[in-house]
Amino acid sequence: MSWVDQQTMGLRWSDAAVAERPRRSDHTILLLTLLLVAIGLGVIYSASGVLADKRFGAPSYFLKRQLLWCAVGLVALLVVARCDLATLRRWAAPVLLLGLLGLVLVLLPSIGVTVKGARRWLRIGALTIQPSEVVKLGVVLYLAHYLARKGDRIADLWRGFVPPLVVVGLLVALIVIEPDMGTAAVIGLVTLGVLFVGGARLSHLLVISMAALPILYVLLMRVAYRRQRLLSFWDPWSDPTGTGFQVIQSFFALGRGGPFGVGLGEGRQKLFYLPEPHTDFVLAALGEELGFVGTAMVILLLGAFVAKGFTIALEADDPFARHVALGVSLLIGFHVLINVGVITGLLPTKGLTLPFLSYGGSSLVVSMVGAGLLMAVARHRPPI
Amino acid sequence: MMEEDARRWRTVAAGILLGLGFLVALGRLFQLQVIRADELAQLAGRQYQKMLTVEGGRGAIFDRNGKILAITMDVPSVFGAPKYVSDPRATAVRLSRVLKADARQLEAKLKSERDFVWLQRHLTPERAEGLQGLALDGIGVIPEGRRFYPKGVMLSHVLGFGNIDNQGLEGLERRYDAALRGERGRLVVERDAFGGAVFPKGLNYVAPSPGKDLVLTIDEVIQYIADQELANVVARTRAVSGVVIVVEPKTGAILAMAVRPTFDPNEPKADPNLWRNRAISDAYEPGSTFKLVVAAAALEERLVSPREFIYGENGRYVVENTVVHDHHKNGWMTFAQVLQRSSNIGMIKVAQQLAPAKLAWYLNAFGFGQKTDVDLTGEQRGLTKELHEWGRRTRASIAIGQEIGVTPLQLVMAVAAIANGGWLMRPYVVSEVRSSTGETVARFEPVVRRRPISTKTAKDLTEIMRGAVLPGGTGMLGAVPGYDVAGKTGTAQKIDPLTGAYSATRMVSSFVGFLPADDPKLAILVVVDEPRTEHWGGTVAAPVFQRIATQAVRHLGIVPKTEQGQILAAR
Repeated sequence: MSWVDQQTMGLRWSDAAVAERPRRSDHTILLLTLLLVAIGLGVIYSASGVLADKRFGAPSYFLKRQLLWCAVGLVALLVVARCDLATLRRWAAPVLLLGLLGLVLVLLPSIGVTVKGARRWLRIGALTIQPSEVVKLGVVLYLAHYLARKGDRIADLWRGFVPPLVVVGLLVALIVIEPDMGTAAVIGLVTLGVLFVGGARLSHLLVISMAALPILYVLLMRVAYRRQRLLSFWDPWSDPTGTGFQVIQSFFALGRGGPFGVGLGEGRQKLFYLPEPHTDFVLAALGEELGFVGTAMVILLLGAFVAKGFTIALEADDPFARHVALGVSLLIGFHVLINVGVITGLLPTKGLTLPFLSYGGSSLVVSMVGAGLLMAVARHRPPI
Repeated sequence: MMEEDARRWRTVAAGILLGLGFLVALGRLFQLQVIRADELAQLAGRQYQKMLTVEGGRGAIFDRNGKILAITMDVPSVFGAPKYVSDPRATAVRLSRVLKADARQLEAKLKSERDFVWLQRHLTPERAEGLQGLALDGIGVIPEGRRFYPKGVMLSHVLGFGNIDNQGLEGLERRYDAALRGERGRLVVERDAFGGAVFPKGLNYVAPSPGKDLVLTIDEVIQYIADQELANVVARTRAVSGVVIVVEPKTGAILAMAVRPTFDPNEPKADPNLWRNRAISDAYEPGSTFKLVVAAAALEERLVSPREFIYGENGRYVVENTVVHDHHKNGWMTFAQVLQRSSNIGMIKVAQQLAPAKLAWYLNAFGFGQKTDVDLTGEQRGLTKELHEWGRRTRASIAIGQEIGVTPLQLVMAVAAIANGGWLMRPYVVSEVRSSTGETVARFEPVVRRRPISTKTAKDLTEIMRGAVLPGGTGMLGAVPGYDVAGKTGTAQKIDPLTGAYSATRMVSSFVGFLPADDPKLAILVVVDEPRTEHWGGTVAAPVFQRIATQAVRHLGIVPKTEQGQILAAR
């Protein structure tokens, strides 16, 4: 459907309405997105300034790059938001295939960029992009497309339930190899969530979840180990690169922040104590400077975003639209939960960003595209 | 297609689950940021601070007359700040010429990751001067406290020594380390996770306070005399080791404690075996000097009186199937003569009248088998058998100073108790702790430990001991002209480690005594271990006692008996 078609479609809806209706675009999502991204930019600058100065001799190094990505993300958001659902649906397969290609390329030694032992990035010119982020979107679109097409036989194990699991399973396996457990977990959870709402049998979901239990067990054991390590006396200087160190430093940042924070720019944990103070641990850095008030506000804003996504999903009548909205909401929601779980020591440390706030182009753009998808769905929901 | 209701229900259920997850996240953040905030913030605070300690000047040690025995002086030390050294190699080469040190080692230090490295400490004046002209980046010279012991080897076993960081390792330096060291100052700097200092403006400095001075009971002059005389006799007789202790009987104050072999505390790197203070750390079988203790017990128990006759068995006596010999074929003699001639047979006969439990009680009362509680490090208890471990011959052996190990300090304190009317004193070397401004912080007074014997017994024994240094006594060479001396010789055979039997050639020669006998000012013990050329206590140790006593009484201005008489007559 072309731009013009869409306009006319909107007009048609307007015509059907009793009174004159404005075109329905959802400002709540846009507002929340912009607010979260703005907060993110502030924290990234505060958290990474000293690090950037030391590493690159420019305090605003990370800020400038993130601003650039922000602009890219915003354009993407607006484009996607104005896209027709049918167009978006056509994009599902190419996006998924692109993601798959990226995941394979990442694993090739000559192309993939290895950072801290993980091959998660592709270098294209001056840019490094993370294919697994693209895969997140691809999976959401694919699942929505699949359920819209074959949702009626999802209760059937072999003809309905297993096929999407095989596709997603392949992608997740590639991501686990990188390794990027966090993203794998998010994609797995989103898939289960979407299939659950899409009408899969609970017994099928249960069996699949049981299969994941051994993996869960290992992860939980590692958390217990880390807990014990924190309780006992430890000396961060003896193992400054260890995983225990990161969580402990995150605890310190949050604890130092207390209810109201030490004040913007006054944080000390970001001075090379906190690992990645501008990426995965951005909420800890924010928590130190703005306190519980700040972290709670961010969590509530993200919660509001997810809640709004669910509302949009509930109100959409088209199956594809509904599952896209649901998928995006679950994606952002699980992303936030895993990230917060990690920085508060409830989950093992896995590299996973906080949507909208963390430094990182791929993550930001994907999150903003997600917001765009929600807006696109919202625009197409029927008049009340 | 699923029914609308079921779909809605499942969507709401997923939303609620996710919502619960968000509540957990909020709750966890609340727990960490509000409930546990103080605890975590406090823990976090620790890692930001790096504490540099700043030493206060170490206190000095003085003798009883204010003579310096140990003092700390500032000498230059050269250090490097590697981060500020632009060319480590060239710097190291130039430094090595002045410091006469290996250039490669210096270079390695200058390339280290640390903020601060010592390059050479306690420089000689010439080297310090040589550095002045170099003016190298990142290289600096700062004054550092270096310990000096101006008297060298003298009193080294008592003073001990410290390490290059002025930490007391031995002797008084160790025992009184806390007082001498003073309060350390602190310099607290903030640091980041890379260990670099940040926010230097927030320096938190607590100035160090200088250490306290010690004033000893030691008299530098008497110490010197004792040291020289001991060195002479050990050298002359080619002995293995030797100890001299001089104490004030009435107070227990130690006036001198000389030990050979010795070491220089200024350069204490040598054999750690030399550091041992044999006066308190080594136990030896005292031999005949110990007869005084057994005699004191017998007299106190009224088992014998000084004038009581005892038969000497013509120098051969069998006790518990063992033959005991005397060096002279003594016939009948008084108990006083038993001691003056140092008759083993006579002494054993008297001791046989003492119940073993009684004898054990007196050994304990005189302080054997226990530490004297002297304020020095490394004191041993000596070797005493528990009563149930005594064999058939033990009582006889103890009577002549065998089957018991005593430290020189234990023995001299026991004899000092005889000199002090029966009061056993606690020996001590530190009389006062003074602040750097000269105020007394602590003063140590004489302490009576207990009273093993009565004044009467002490007097009787003193009379007997006077006889031992008169012509005809074994200790006649210990006599000091013009003074009444009470003394006792000892010549103890050492147990041969190879045969386990008493050796005929390896001896410990000793002499213990005090003067003036009627008002004792000095108790002196001389122990010479394994003299080669001669071995009798009367010939090896007694003359040493005589020379030390003669010089000491002159130094202390103790009026001779003859002059006393003249003064009295002049009145």
